[in-house]
Amino acid sequence: MESLHPRIRVVWGVGAVVAAAVLTVVAGVGIRGADAVGIDLGRVAALDVALPLALGVVAAVLGAAHAVAHYRIWRFDLQEDALYLERGVLTRVDTVVPFVRVQHVDTQRGPLERATGLASVVVYTAGSRGADVTIPGLTPERAQALQSDLRELARESEQQDAV
Amino acid sequence: MKLHPISLPYRGVSRGFTGGSALFFLGVVAAGPFGLEGLALTVPLAVVGFLAGVAYEVAYYRRFEYELTEDTFDIDSGVVARREREIPLHRIQNVDISQNVVQRALDVAVLTLETAGGGQTEASLQYVGYDEAKRLQSELRRAKNGEGRSERSGDAAESESDGWTGDGTTAAPRDRTDEPTEQLFAIRTQELLLLSVASVSPGALVLSVVFFPYVDLVDLSTIFALFTPSTPQPPILLVVSRLVALVIGAWVISAALTFARYYDFELTRVGDELQYERGLLQRYSGSIPTEKVQTVTMTDNPVTRRAGYATLVVETAGYAAGQAAGSESAVPLARRDHVRDLAKSVEAFDEPEFERPPERARRRYLGRYSLAVGALTAVLYGANVAFGAPTQWYAALALLVVVPVAAQLTWTHRGYDVQDDHVLTRAGFWTRTTKVVPYYRLQTVVRTRTVFQRRWGLASLTADTAGSFSIRKRDATAIDIDDEDAVRLRDTLRERLQGSLRERRERLRSGRASGDADLASVDDAESSVDGDGSVGSPTESADDDDTDGGTDGDASGDPDGTAAGSDDGSDGPDDTAAN
Repeated sequence: MESLHPRIRVVWGVGAVVAAAVLTVVAGVGIRGADAVGIDLGRVAALDVALPLALGVVAAVLGAAHAVAHYRIWRFDLQEDALYLERGVLTRVDTVVPFVRVQHVDTQRGPLERATGLASVVVYTAGSRGADVTIPGLTPERAQALQSDLRELARESEQQDAV
Repeated sequence: MKLHPISLPYRGVSRGFTGGSALFFLGVVAAGPFGLEGLALTVPLAVVGFLAGVAYEVAYYRRFEYELTEDTFDIDSGVVARREREIPLHRIQNVDISQNVVQRALDVAVLTLETAGGGQTEASLQYVGYDEAKRLQSELRRAKNGEGRSERSGDAAESESDGWTGDGTTAAPRDRTDEPTEQLFAIRTQELLLLSVASVSPGALVLSVVFFPYVDLVDLSTIFALFTPSTPQPPILLVVSRLVALVIGAWVISAALTFARYYDFELTRVGDELQYERGLLQRYSGSIPTEKVQTVTMTDNPVTRRAGYATLVVETAGYAAGQAAGSESAVPLARRDHVRDLAKSVEAFDEPEFERPPERARRRYLGRYSLAVGALTAVLYGANVAFGAPTQWYAALALLVVVPVAAQLTWTHRGYDVQDDHVLTRAGFWTRTTKVVPYYRLQTVVRTRTVFQRRWGLASLTADTAGSFSIRKRDATAIDIDDEDAVRLRDTLRERLQGSLRERRERLRSGRASGDADLASVDDAESSVDGDGSVGSPTESADDDDTDGGTDGDASGDPDGTAAGSDDGSDGPDDTAAN
């Protein structure tokens, strides 16, 4: 079993902080808006700034904790006939993707991933649920290698069929 | 070939009215600012709009050409942006025909082609003669099955292409005679009535709210008053009785819709395909290719179950029969044993014996439903404190009585069964759904455990196929089974998938050895359509398959080292770091 690159925690952590910041702004604007239209929030109104900030901090801390836990749980493995993945903090999910079912394989690099020097591999199947399986937090070299391995394994299966 | 000539005036008039009315209303809006008399602007604009609509349709009709060739279905179309499409025949999964009342009077129909992996229709011919639609449907089936085009069907195509006034009215019956046709099911009046009464669609509740407020009995204001703080609170009994009236209204509407939808339902087997026809006002005819079947589903609800009836749904890749119109099925309602026989004729599974979730799952449901009732009561109480309504918030606690019953029912209706070639799952009390998944259709196998499931040592296992209930996401899932069983089941499914692929491959190979071109072409079609591939893993075939041991060994290396070997070769440093 292979785990992800530790730097994925940074990617997820930054994502959580950004989400928390958005939440803070939304909550702040919401309270201001309620004040403006004359809705009496009672004691809450006194916490005009403090409440959104507190919300944001809690969300950021929870997000960061989630990122750490998520990294610890994430595992994947190229097994003899299938790609096997384990993930999920609250809901644990493990998935078996037989190589024969692999339609195509992509590598992806989002802006955050590029900044941290990471990449993801996306494996597509024809299934109706989770038709694409993403393995995040790989070094670009590992992602390339994994992509070509998977492509090779998927193609080998197909070639045999053509014989 | 051109569309049916009647489609020119038909489309022209309907498009003309759309264009005309659009510009008419534009004129109404514009007349004011320009200080014009309304009629001076609106009437000419409406005429211009109508003419523009008609002109567009004339161009559309003149431009639209379709042709069925040896291995593609070609469509050239488009007035502004032109489009030339070639659809490979082996990619076509379903060929559907529909007619509304007007189209039936004019003897024309809409023909739609569905391909795998698309939520939307690949091509739509509006409109062709009904017989021409039928002819295309059977031609396509034949060509798809690799039978090649017989002399006779070639004749038919020619006789039609030499003049679009002919429209194949004579060709169709001739074509259909040489197909082995067998009627599998025709709905009887009492079944149709039962189906109508037993199927309540949620959408009908909305219609009921829209149409029935005028009836005093269903006066909605009483119901709203219950939740409005400032008004006097109506007695709870009155509210309940009016809610009941609303539900009955919804029921009647829904029954009428169902009746019209499945009126005169008929299912036939034609060659390798199932074909159905149905509908009172709008008539549908569709095809379900059996060799492309991903999942077979049987459903029933408390009413139909009690009466001994069930529904059969057959899913192919990317499309369930007549999906576009909502909940469609291969057989809307038939006696349960009949449904089971039909299902078995599509997928040869054994009589199921379901393994229920462990006892502790039932206790879990008991706790869960009690919590839900508690939460509902808390919300109502909160509303009472905050807004002073509803005053009788504690009435919700009465639901506690049904909690044990609900838990028991949920538990008894869940289960799974592992058979030689299929895995079956079952769940749901209101709509009890039994799914049959052949191993060789498995795509991925997913085990999930929520926080709560982990506390009870339970898990859910999903056997995903390329079937297509994508909207409702009702995959074949064994819910709340013992976690260790889930792991075992996951490994079993995985092994059986490889085993069944190996078996299929060998069968195809021996078929090919004896020179059977049919099997080969069927296999080609499948592997390109739904990624089935029909193969085993490289390692397993090297192990078990001595017929082609030599070539396989060369291709995939030593049995155990395939995955690991390529890993090591390409990315040594990372691999060791990760391990």
